Amino acid sequence: MRLVLAILAEQLGEWRHGYDLMKATGLLSGTLYPLLMRMTDNGLVEAEWREPAQQGRPPRHVYRLTAAGFALAIELTRESAPLSGKEMLA
Amino acid sequence: MTIFLARLLMTLASTCMGDDRRDWSLAMQAEYEVAAADGQALSFASGCLVAAWRELLASPQGRFTLTNYVAALGIMLPMAALQIGCAVFGLPYLYPGEHGLPGAMLVGGSHEALLRSIYLGAVPTLALIQLITGIGHVRLAWLLVERDWPGAIRWALWTLAGATALVIFMSVLFLDAQQALLQAAIVGLEVAAIAIGITRHAEIAAVRNPTG
Repeated sequence: MRLVLAILAEQLGEWRHGYDLMKATGLLSGTLYPLLMRMTDNGLVEAEWREPAQQGRPPRHVYRLTAAGFALAIELTRESAPLSGKEMLA
Repeated sequence: MTIFLARLLMTLASTCMGDDRRDWSLAMQAEYEVAAADGQALSFASGCLVAAWRELLASPQGRFTLTNYVAALGIMLPMAALQIGCAVFGLPYLYPGEHGLPGAMLVGGSHEALLRSIYLGAVPTLALIQLITGIGHVRLAWLLVERDWPGAIRWALWTLAGATALVIFMSVLFLDAQQALLQAAIVGLEVAAIAIGITRHAEIAAVRNPTG
C-alpha cells in the first residue's frame, strides 16, 4: 500500500489509470486491484470513470489520492527510512 | 489462443467479482484492453482472476456465494448423481447384497417368498421416486447457486418428501431402508442448511443496505 500511496503522491491531483499504476509500481494486477479497492473503501483513493482517448474503447477508471490519502502518504514518508520491498507492500 | 485464454480468465474474474464490485470488474475489463494492446493480456487477466478470488474470500457476500457453490457442487450434485445412478443403474453398493435396488427387495427373509411378486412390482415405483429425488437435488443445486431462496426451500421440501416416501414404502414392504433413511437424513440436513442460508443471506443484505 505504501508503494501505491507513494506513486500517487508523486503527482498529486493527477488522475492515473490502473495499468499505468501497475507499470509505475511494478505490482501485478492481482495485487494492485485489491489494494486500490481497499484504499478506495477506506477513503484514501478516489476513483472516477473517464471517457477513453481512443474511440471504440470502453470508459476507463482513473485514480488519485484523497486529502486523507495524501496525509497518510506524507506521514508514512516521514516515518520511514528507505523501505525494503516487503515493507513497501505491507 | 493466448487471447482466448485471457478473455476466458477475464470473464471468470467478472463472474467471481460479485454485484457490489461490479464497477471494479468493469474497470479491470477496460484496463485489460490496454494490457492486451501492450502484449500483457494473459498476465493481466490472471492477476484479475486472483484479485477477484481475493475479493470473493474477503467479503461476507463473497464467502456466502462461495459456500453456496461448494454446497451445490460438493454435496448436492454428488448426491443427485448417486440417487439418479441408483435409480437408473441400480448401483449395487447402496443396497444390501450388492445387487442394487432390486437386490434390497430380495434379501432373504420369511416374507420374501410371499411378497416376491409385490416386491418386483414395486421396483419401478421405488426407482421412480428415487429418480425424482435425484432430479430434485439437481434443481435444488441450481436454485442454490442462483440464490432463489423461495424456490430452493420449495424444492428442498419436495425432495425431502420424496426421500421420506421412499423410506416409508420400503419399510412397509419390510425392506432394508437403511440407505434410504440415510439419504432422507441428508436431505433433512440440507433443508435445515438452506433455512440457515436464507437467514444468513438476509443478514448480509441488511448490512449492505441498512436503510432496507
